[in-house]
Amino acid sequence: MSPILEIKNLSKNFGGVKALQDISFDIGRGEIIGLIGPNGAGKTTLFNCVAGVEKPSSGQIIFHPDDDTSVQVGGKKPEHVTKLGIARTFQNIRLFDALTVLDNVKIGRHCRTRSNFFGAVFHTPSQQQEEVAIERDARAALDFVGLKVDYHAMASSLPYGEQRRLEIARALATDPKLLMLDEPAAGMNPQESKELMDLIRRVRDSGVTILLIEHDMKVVMGVCERVVVINYGQWLAEGNPHQVAKDPKVIEAYLGSGAACDAA
Amino acid sequence: MFLELLINGITLGGIYALIAVGYTMVYGVIQLINFAHGEIYMLGAFFALTFISAFNMPFFVAFALSMGCAAICGMLLDVVAYRPLRNSPRLAALITAIGMSIFLQNLAMIIWGSRPMPFPQEHLPAYFNQTAFVVGETPISWLQAYIFICTIVFMAGLNLIIHKTKVGKAMRAVAQNKTMAALVGINVNQVITVTFALAGALGAAAGILVGAYYNSVYPLMGYIAGVKAFAAAVLGGIGSVPGAMLGGFILGIAEALGAGYLSSLYRDGISYAVMIAVIIFIPAGLFGKIIRETKKSM
Amino acid sequence: MNILAFSQYERADWVRLGCLVAAILLPFTPLANEYVLHTCILIFLYMILALGLNVVPGFNGLLDLGYVGFYGIGAYTAGLLTVHYGLSFWVILPLAAINGAIWGVLLGAPTLRLTGDYFAIVTFGFSELVVLFITNETWLTRGPLGLPGIDPPSIDLSWLGGPVIWLEGDSLGVYYLVMALVLVTLFVMYRIQNSRLGRAWFAIRDDELAAVSCGINLLVYKVIAFAISAAFGAVAGAFYARWVTVISPDAFLFWESFFILCMIVLGGLGNIWGVMLGAAILVSLGEVLREILPLLGLPENSRFLFYGLLMVVMMRLRPAGMLPIAAVAAQMKTTSKRRLAWFKKKGSAA
Repeated sequence: MSPILEIKNLSKNFGGVKALQDISFDIGRGEIIGLIGPNGAGKTTLFNCVAGVEKPSSGQIIFHPDDDTSVQVGGKKPEHVTKLGIARTFQNIRLFDALTVLDNVKIGRHCRTRSNFFGAVFHTPSQQQEEVAIERDARAALDFVGLKVDYHAMASSLPYGEQRRLEIARALATDPKLLMLDEPAAGMNPQESKELMDLIRRVRDSGVTILLIEHDMKVVMGVCERVVVINYGQWLAEGNPHQVAKDPKVIEAYLGSGAACDAA
Repeated sequence: MFLELLINGITLGGIYALIAVGYTMVYGVIQLINFAHGEIYMLGAFFALTFISAFNMPFFVAFALSMGCAAICGMLLDVVAYRPLRNSPRLAALITAIGMSIFLQNLAMIIWGSRPMPFPQEHLPAYFNQTAFVVGETPISWLQAYIFICTIVFMAGLNLIIHKTKVGKAMRAVAQNKTMAALVGINVNQVITVTFALAGALGAAAGILVGAYYNSVYPLMGYIAGVKAFAAAVLGGIGSVPGAMLGGFILGIAEALGAGYLSSLYRDGISYAVMIAVIIFIPAGLFGKIIRETKKSM
Repeated sequence: MNILAFSQYERADWVRLGCLVAAILLPFTPLANEYVLHTCILIFLYMILALGLNVVPGFNGLLDLGYVGFYGIGAYTAGLLTVHYGLSFWVILPLAAINGAIWGVLLGAPTLRLTGDYFAIVTFGFSELVVLFITNETWLTRGPLGLPGIDPPSIDLSWLGGPVIWLEGDSLGVYYLVMALVLVTLFVMYRIQNSRLGRAWFAIRDDELAAVSCGINLLVYKVIAFAISAAFGAVAGAFYARWVTVISPDAFLFWESFFILCMIVLGGLGNIWGVMLGAAILVSLGEVLREILPLLGLPENSRFLFYGLLMVVMMRLRPAGMLPIAAVAAQMKTTSKRRLAWFKKKGSAA
């Protein structure tokens, strides 16, 4: 089975700042992989490169939606990347605040639907069927993430934890093969984090591979099968979360060299 | 004929430069096109006209006083119309800018009437119409020379203010990063208001010079000149003061030559076309940097 | 959806139905004289324009200052085709719409990737160029002399053995014709805003980065919006040309763009019902001001002073307009808690 995403020698420079330097790792199909590292290590930049928001300075990002296909994703436009099957959430939650919960998720269905101006105006049967399907799929996504709120409420009126779940529902509505979550547990209490971990496992079990940026180590340890550590834009370590946590290089990156010596 | 058109173009260009600098400075600090800037230019001309005809002031006194009044108008414009919308979406600020522009045009029409008024020639220094010197076979009047000198002097003065004074430094700081400027103790709102004052003063100077040169002052003069000056500012790179100066001269010369050699009917169209072309093909202009909109839409 | 299931309708729907009935019956009431009918036709014309413009600043949050350019293109397309080729109004209407849409795409494609300020001023420049072209290319348009002799619309029943009905001036025929055009426009807008297309627009308006992450191509959807807006502007222009039968460049100056902008801002950005209300209010007010101002010794055009002031005040106090919609009100940050609750009850964004 081929990996679902191959990152090969990915580098990204912003002017003189080397945000990512020669990063390489693979994501296996059906894995839950954590991407961890201190603040400013380049994790969100990596997400942005995969998602198409940033163009890599060099290197390749190869996506395998299934075993037989491979697509160069680096440098493609974000809307194209989503259509190919890679969805992402944002560190600072970017919902459509002024739209309803249901509309937010319906917009997630945009890339899988086709009706246009003429369909809308003339109410063609295919457009009507598509609207019914959109509504059904949106509700299914909301159901799946376990969001029990008034679907016609404005997205901005939801509490923080539910907004995060709504964002995940929207990302799932795009029918991704790979879902990238950027700090989904940020700001959550232990109960919410536990529910999030259950959700992540449910998503994986439904056939979606997950790449996760997270600082909450409980979540990382609890749900990730593998972690990749980066620091200062460079690959630092990779492997089973518990082993990586004991790696002196990793401890040094987070806590400084004194702590690494203490741990050894 | 070429020389004559060129001289005309340089004169016109100096005026566009003075107005364009106002646009670019304001855009630099608040990232908004002040659509009402053309109206301050127009008001400056009318102020001078009124001071000279109704109050019999000497030309240079009226000139200075009008610049002062226009500076105040600029400040009022900011405080009344733009400052309350500092944190609103762009669309709201743009609509306000257009609204103020239309309001001021019509206010001037009510106060001074919509027909063009001649600039009181008797009060201008007599030598303005005399030839200062001759280039080739083309005479250059003292007025033309005065306009050019004024432009250079004002540009130099502005450069001095921006680079050598504390206020100028504050302006540059605010233009680069409002949040940081506030964090280091700069009163951002005050700096912005000062910027409007400076822009207004320069715009008024341009208006008075135009009024004297073309011997005509009318409420809609800011409308067209405003767009052209904006084209000049964009050409030079919005946010860049040297760019605006250069853009003004380039546009003035292009317009004069174009009107002379190609078609005088499309005289104004040349500016619009230049503006559209620049915005589409080189949005950063000659000296500017593209300001990416990374905020949530508008 | 079962139209006759009365329980699904809210009070607002009944009000709208009432207005429609009133509009249909108006010519038969004693209120209806020539002047009132003329004003109503004018109101309907501006409703079409307002609904068309609403697509860009309302649904998409972009300031279009050059709308009158498309109005003018539509009018001169219709005028020239009628005068030179005698085409029927019913043929010209779609032709004008298509021409408008083409120009919308031509202008929109290079400019809609720009920031909002630049887009605004480029559209302004475009409409000025259109006016300059119309004024100067006298071989085509007769310039400032105007283009006279445009036939009014007609319904040709001769193939049925009936008469040719001319819809002229301020007659009942024209009144119902333009009302029908408004209803068609309204229908199209209503359908779009509740569709996948409308949702994409509101997403773009709210958060471009998030919209892109859902697979929406920003430029394509913005250009579609602009083209649709241009098409309806051109349709209004085509009607206008065949209503007044003489057109000249000074009907297509920037003031008109501003006037229509005022209507949608006053009525409610993005709200198709609001912009129609805005059109009705401002056109009526405009006619009143036109009469009163000269009596006060002020020039007729100074009513624009009032409009300008109105815009400044609206942006300060009620940026989302008289009849705000949730999407715009939230973005313009005028949503108080009470209004939020009201919107929650109302349901979806539009």
